[in-house]
Amino acid sequence: MPEVILKNLPFLLSGLRLTAEIALWSILGGTALGLVIGVVRHLRVPVLAQLFALYIGFVRGTPLLVMLFICYFGLPALLAYKTSAYGAAVVGFTLFIAAYLAEDIRTGLRSVRPGLAQAALATGLTRAQALRLVVVPIALRNVIPTLFNQYVRLFKFTSVASVIGVNEFTGSAMLVNGREFAPITIIGFVALTYLVLCFAISSVGRLLYARLAVRT
Amino acid sequence: MIALDQVCKSYGSTPVLRGCTTAIGRGEVVVICGPSGSGKSTLIKCINGLEPYQSGSIRVDGVEVGARTTDLPKMRTRVGMVFQHFELYPHMSALDNIVLAQVHALKRKRSEAEARAQALLARVDLAEKADAYPIDLSGGQQQRVAIARALALDPEAMLFDEPTSALDPEMISEVLDVMIDLAGDGMTMAVVTHEMGFARRVADRVIFMDRGEIVEDAPKEQFFSAPKSQRAREFLSKILAH
Repeated sequence: MPEVILKNLPFLLSGLRLTAEIALWSILGGTALGLVIGVVRHLRVPVLAQLFALYIGFVRGTPLLVMLFICYFGLPALLAYKTSAYGAAVVGFTLFIAAYLAEDIRTGLRSVRPGLAQAALATGLTRAQALRLVVVPIALRNVIPTLFNQYVRLFKFTSVASVIGVNEFTGSAMLVNGREFAPITIIGFVALTYLVLCFAISSVGRLLYARLAVRT
Repeated sequence: MIALDQVCKSYGSTPVLRGCTTAIGRGEVVVICGPSGSGKSTLIKCINGLEPYQSGSIRVDGVEVGARTTDLPKMRTRVGMVFQHFELYPHMSALDNIVLAQVHALKRKRSEAEARAQALLARVDLAEKADAYPIDLSGGQQQRVAIARALALDPEAMLFDEPTSALDPEMISEVLDVMIDLAGDGMTMAVVTHEMGFARRVADRVIFMDRGEIVEDAPKEQFFSAPKSQRAREFLSKILAH
């Protein structure tokens, strides 16, 4: 490994750790929120479904960086609360990825044959149980590859957090570069690290899908 | 045990059920037949509340199915249903398909539910398939698991919606045999089917439907020997022609 990397490795790794944390929380939060939004839209719950449709339209039509600015500067001013750059990044990425995940999950829900829900109801399960025990599990299993694609996208997008002052991996690498000025080595190392980790995330997705895919 | 009175249903302006009135007594086996689109499936889906109806009344043990206050999930545990396309949960083993509603609708203990599921699998001759997934079972096997799934709730009546229509010919009898056994045990059954051999053998009554109406509702001997309506005669001559 080049000396400039070795010398700064502890600092770079602490940045990478921040990247992993932000990505993990946003993936967990975004999946939970995306599931709720996907189900509400699938069931066409009055008012809520329309509100969520607006939300998805808004996220899709707004640059990610602007979303982060909204969560860092806009919302705290509007709702009078204090936030750290880290907190704003997690909230921003969660809200961002949830919109995409919601649409993917909704696609999964639509792919489940209506007859299965009917069969569940016919055995005396309530609508909520039929959804939770039959429809949602099948839908989620079917969309595992798509969800993991979104997770990979999100993992790369976390680098944008450096703009609002979060010293995650890319941000800390740029600081190192400012001090050392070895852009090819440093940026090359950063790119390679993202590549390996993204590959790892999609491998997990492939393994999960191989185990859990619903065979029909 | 099941009483229908002037049941009407329409999709928009298209009527699908027109004033259907009949009753199914405890232990009775009723076969419902008729040309496609005659409303047979819709009728039995109305009985357990899977399809709403606009007017008339359906009572199961005196409880009005369409009433707002009716606890439909509870009512459905007492009226089992078997579908044309089996509708087994594809992400679960045969055993888990049979366990699910026992645990979540009847609140049975898992161990108790599994024992019951095993016993039912043995009853439909699939004891060794407990861990198989639906995709690995033949159509006939899937339908027998589906029957076991419905029986696991100890229903007082069973509804069958064309249970053999999606099966290859050589698998039809293995499913009908299970149903004949059930009828022999005194189960109350409403069966939508074109299997006239089954009807002749186990039905007490045959209902013939056409264009949303119950055209004929007669004891099976009378239905097969001397159908009253022209439409039933035509239908019978078509399906018994070969």
